[in-house]
Amino acid sequence: MTDHRWQELAAPYALSALAPEERAEFDAHLAECVTCRAEVQAFREVSGLLAHAAPAAVPPRALRERILRAARQVRPIGAPRGPVLPWLAAAAVALALAAGYGYWTARVAQTGLRTALDSARARLDSTSQLVAAILDSAVGTADLAATGKPPSMRLFWNRARNVVVVAAFELPPAPAGRTYQLWAIKKGQAPVSVGTFNTPPGGRVVVTLRMPAGLKPDLSAVTEEPAGGSPQPTQQPFLVGSWQGGG
Amino acid sequence: MASQNDRPAIADCVLLERMAGRNERALGELYDRHGGAVYSLALAIVGERADAEEVVADSFGQAWRTAERFDPARGSVTAWLATITRTRALDLVRARGRRARALTRAAVGNSEGLAAPIAPAGEAPDRGVERQEARRMVERSLSELSESQRRIIELAYFCGLTQTEIAAELREPLGTVKTRMRAGLEKLRGSLVPFLSRGEP
Repeated sequence: MTDHRWQELAAPYALSALAPEERAEFDAHLAECVTCRAEVQAFREVSGLLAHAAPAAVPPRALRERILRAARQVRPIGAPRGPVLPWLAAAAVALALAAGYGYWTARVAQTGLRTALDSARARLDSTSQLVAAILDSAVGTADLAATGKPPSMRLFWNRARNVVVVAAFELPPAPAGRTYQLWAIKKGQAPVSVGTFNTPPGGRVVVTLRMPAGLKPDLSAVTEEPAGGSPQPTQQPFLVGSWQGGG
Repeated sequence: MASQNDRPAIADCVLLERMAGRNERALGELYDRHGGAVYSLALAIVGERADAEEVVADSFGQAWRTAERFDPARGSVTAWLATITRTRALDLVRARGRRARALTRAAVGNSEGLAAPIAPAGEAPDRGVERQEARRMVERSLSELSESQRRIIELAYFCGLTQTEIAAELREPLGTVKTRMRAGLEKLRGSLVPFLSRGEP
């Protein structure tokens, strides 16, 4: 608690300015030190305000609409836009159940049938999109495993849409204040973040992330990182796998 | 200058709750509040407008997808958004092998630092007054640091350099860089405390 050396690391840690080894060491310490976690949190707030030191720039007007449009596509509300093939719908339902979406039925009594239907329809639609993304031609896949034992993960990379569908199995939720981060690795280059995600208590989740533009990775890996993710991995990955096909 | 009337009626963290409930208007509101600051930060790091737009779109997309995991007990929305944006912007710079260029830009701004060119009032797209107040506060706090402290913090913040890399870049001993970075951040924390404590619940 009163170890001065550790407290000295909180400020540079919050700025992601520690060298990788030092950062990994401090990460391990953070897991068990409330004082240092509070210090990091305080310096993250300072770091957040430093954003205001950037020269003021005005985003183009169209950016707002682009963001809202993309959000609508992530979880679309309302009727599906096009006809869905019966087998695709069946696959979607199966996948929805597999992905743990079935819990909506429990809320029917509270929120009314209509809400439940809307929400089920929205989920079926987003799941249809998910299935479409996975079944598209030229989809690359990667199986990530930790030497044959759980957890495991399967990735589907739809190059045309630039999305990576991540299906995780038997992966317990990350500890408080931590998150999982997926990396794309081109041999001989630094890993590039694909995004962060977490799992529900069941340990099973399907999430959609975006592959950074122009990247053709050989491998993907998963590490556990501080909430919000890290610019570079701070730990050895616990899941690794190579990309196959699709290209 | 910032009276109670200028403060948003709904707290940022409530917006995040609504976003978790798939409320698109809450996302629009979050963008209206923070879009300008997020875009400015992204642009300062990536250097090109198209890339900055990409980073901003991705960052708000991530905020939308992960809103339900935001925990107000662990920090403010401002800090959370800034962390997401900075991570994505630095990733993009690395992915494109642009770090050298980012460093060059940083070096050009050497004497006044990156923080120098504050835009004239009225240009800010966010809720103007509050953001301007934050900018003034940060600018003043940075101006109280030594030239070297400010430079070190800027290299870490806008260029994503580690302490070791900063020492090499500035040809200073690593111990000196560490001491100055820490002292600078401690000082910033001290002078920004009033702003931090009255921000969000």
